[in-house]
Amino acid sequence: MYVQIKDLCFGYKNAKNLTIHHFNLDIEKGEIISILGESGSGKSTVLRLLCGLETPSKGIIKIGSETMTDERTFVLPEKRGIGMVFQDYALFPHMTVYENVQFGLKHWKRKERKNRVHEVLELVNMSSYAKRYPHELSGGQQQRIALARSLAPEPSLLLLDEPFSNLDADLQIKIRSELKEIIKQTGTTSIFVTHDREDSRAIADRIITMRDGAAHDWDSLCTTTRAEDEVRQPELVRLK
Amino acid sequence: MSRLNLLRKLPGYMNIWSILSLAIVILILIPNMTILFNFFTQKAENWNHIQEYILPDLLKNTGLLIVFTGILTIIIGTSLAWIVSAYEFPMKKFFKWGLILPLAIPPYIAGYTYNGILNYTGVIQTTLRNNWDIKVDQVYFNILNLPGAVFIFTLFLFPYVYTITRAFLANQSASLIENARLLGRSPVDIFFRVVLPISRGAIVGGVSLVLLEVLNDYGVVQYFGVPTFSTAIFQTWFGMNDLNSAIKLSATLMFIVFAILTLEKVLRGRKKYASTTAKARPLHPTRLIGWKAWGAFGYCLFIFLLGFLIPFVQLIDWMLLTFEKIASPEFTTLIWNSLLVSFVGALLIVLFAVIIANFSRMHQSALSKSAAKVTILGYSIPGAVIAVGISTVFIGIDSGLSRFYESTGLESRLFLSTSLVILISAYIIRFLAIGYNSIESGFDKIGNKYTEASRMLGMNMTRTFFKVDLKMIKAPLISGFLLAFIEIIKELPLTLILRPFNFGTLSTNAFKYASDEQIHEAALASIIIVVISAIAVFVFHQVLEKESN
Ligand SMILES: Nc1ncnc2c1ncn2[C@@H]1O[C@H](COP(=O)(O)OP(=O)(O)O)[C@@H](O)[C@H]1O
Ligand SMILES: [Mg+2]
Repeated sequence: MYVQIKDLCFGYKNAKNLTIHHFNLDIEKGEIISILGESGSGKSTVLRLLCGLETPSKGIIKIGSETMTDERTFVLPEKRGIGMVFQDYALFPHMTVYENVQFGLKHWKRKERKNRVHEVLELVNMSSYAKRYPHELSGGQQQRIALARSLAPEPSLLLLDEPFSNLDADLQIKIRSELKEIIKQTGTTSIFVTHDREDSRAIADRIITMRDGAAHDWDSLCTTTRAEDEVRQPELVRLK
Repeated sequence: MSRLNLLRKLPGYMNIWSILSLAIVILILIPNMTILFNFFTQKAENWNHIQEYILPDLLKNTGLLIVFTGILTIIIGTSLAWIVSAYEFPMKKFFKWGLILPLAIPPYIAGYTYNGILNYTGVIQTTLRNNWDIKVDQVYFNILNLPGAVFIFTLFLFPYVYTITRAFLANQSASLIENARLLGRSPVDIFFRVVLPISRGAIVGGVSLVLLEVLNDYGVVQYFGVPTFSTAIFQTWFGMNDLNSAIKLSATLMFIVFAILTLEKVLRGRKKYASTTAKARPLHPTRLIGWKAWGAFGYCLFIFLLGFLIPFVQLIDWMLLTFEKIASPEFTTLIWNSLLVSFVGALLIVLFAVIIANFSRMHQSALSKSAAKVTILGYSIPGAVIAVGISTVFIGIDSGLSRFYESTGLESRLFLSTSLVILISAYIIRFLAIGYNSIESGFDKIGNKYTEASRMLGMNMTRTFFKVDLKMIKAPLISGFLLAFIEIIKELPLTLILRPFNFGTLSTNAFKYASDEQIHEAALASIIIVVISAIAVFVFHQVLEKESN
């Protein structure tokens, strides 16, 4: 298995109960996984744990042959080589599109860096916008830049947090097929999080559901299911 | 498990940010702790005498100043805030910020200016005498007493209550007040039954700032001859040469400050006064007509004249009178000195504030939260107290270094205690809160997402800080710097006590002339301070207005 997550547990400091409760997940190389669950079920938290922005209280995370987290180890987020597309993109407003994309390439040689920026901008079809500032772009364009930025350093794992939630419905349908194509083209192992089952179906090779059925029912908070299980128990997935 | 957890997290904590933050916090804590520690351990030769004969007077004066200034600033501050937010009347746009301008005149400058206007040789009595041959009883024109000090504090500190309350009313209260209007309540009724209760938190916040300023003051009470803790600290320390008694007085004053801060917490209630909800709707002002409009106009104008225009014009008049005599190379040195300490002080303040704000933002832990609390502690500690604390510490350091001084052949045994280092450290302790609040609100606004995005792209915290965070808090950095700069330029008690021998600034120069009964000669330095502060008040009002729109 390329990505291994074992028995992950985590609770926010000011919360009484664990937000993530014995979360298990294995991912193969190149796979696109979708985590589906209603708002507040802990999807974003799982991503934050994976990329090291939060520290789990228990559990193991391995990517490739490298252990990111276990009882003894904690690799800092900047050392993990994981890419993340944030829900609201978090494009640096004081940098141009070009500078944003180039930001993660500080270890690259100058020439390669330049080529790489053009390559990924090409990939997301935004080459002609390199000199613009983020606020001069539409929502969909900003999203593509955010994707390009996180793909540029060739991450070992790509995380996307509700990438469509800031787009209107028409755009959403058009972009999600585009997104799948782009990610498949790069062959990047990806996890993307959503509350929309259609999104999951359109993009994912495999769907995991996360539930926060009742706030007290902590045992069943996190379950992982194969795609066929998800079909068998569709009533568990409440749509917004 | 938990020890492992800590070990595992250590690389994240043990970085330059936490170490520097800790160092700064210690720098701030030590002088204050020294005072509290010495209060309980040291004996002071005059303390019994002071306790018996002086302390009751100090407590009485301080109590009276606080109570009356508090009540009067509440009345003036809230009524003006209400009139300006709820009604339209002639020149309201101007008054909205014009009524903050009294803050640009430090109370000690206002104090001697008013005394100069009102005394026997002042403009009022001279005019009455020369034009109508009227001689007045001096009793009615003597403001050098406790009521006079209350008058000065009220007029020049009420803007704290006014600004905070106005901001609250403008943003938070629309639905409540409009409902009350629809229910047919009279305006007076609404003011007392709705406006006052709902803005309690804002009023309490504003008035506690006023009271802290009153406790901090040295210039007004000294000039007006009203003994308070500040003057008593000066007197025991320099007059009686009894530092330990000064420390005991300082500690007593600190307890009063803590009492006020506690009272503020209790009275303010659980809600923070400026919590802007997302859907806050601005209050729509009603247009006043006829005598009501002119009444509102007249009231605002009256306060504006007394609180800014009259003393300002008087100062300009005196300045023109004495300009040639005062403007000399020595005076230029004063200006440079003021600019130098203010610049260096403000620069270090923003630097330290950024370090602590960044640390406390990165680690939402109890440790970082208390670091933030300590950072803003200094602002509530009166200048004279900080001076006593920091002198004690520096004298200790100097005596520890005396061997070293000898070996380097330095003349002075009190090298650090008599240098600019001690003065600037004191400024940092007292005004760090100003820089910190500005920068923290800047960080609050941008949140953590850009920092996280940068770390996900492989930049560590320090690189992220320089490439992303710092660039995004430029505006709060600049405003924090300017605010601190202005506070330092105006500052009096710390500067008077801690400045090196023969080192004068604009504020000490103005105070010295005024104390020597040379009020006209004090005008040039005063006017420079007032103009710089007034410009800042104007700029900040513009910035705030823009942001709230
Ligand atoms: N910083 C935080 N501090 C405390 N609780 C949080 C924090 N972030 C999220 N939570 C809580 O954790 C739970 C899971 O949140 P999240 O992972 O954001 O859910 P999702 O992304 O699925 O909507 C929610 O109940 C949320 O309120
Ligand atoms: Mg989420």
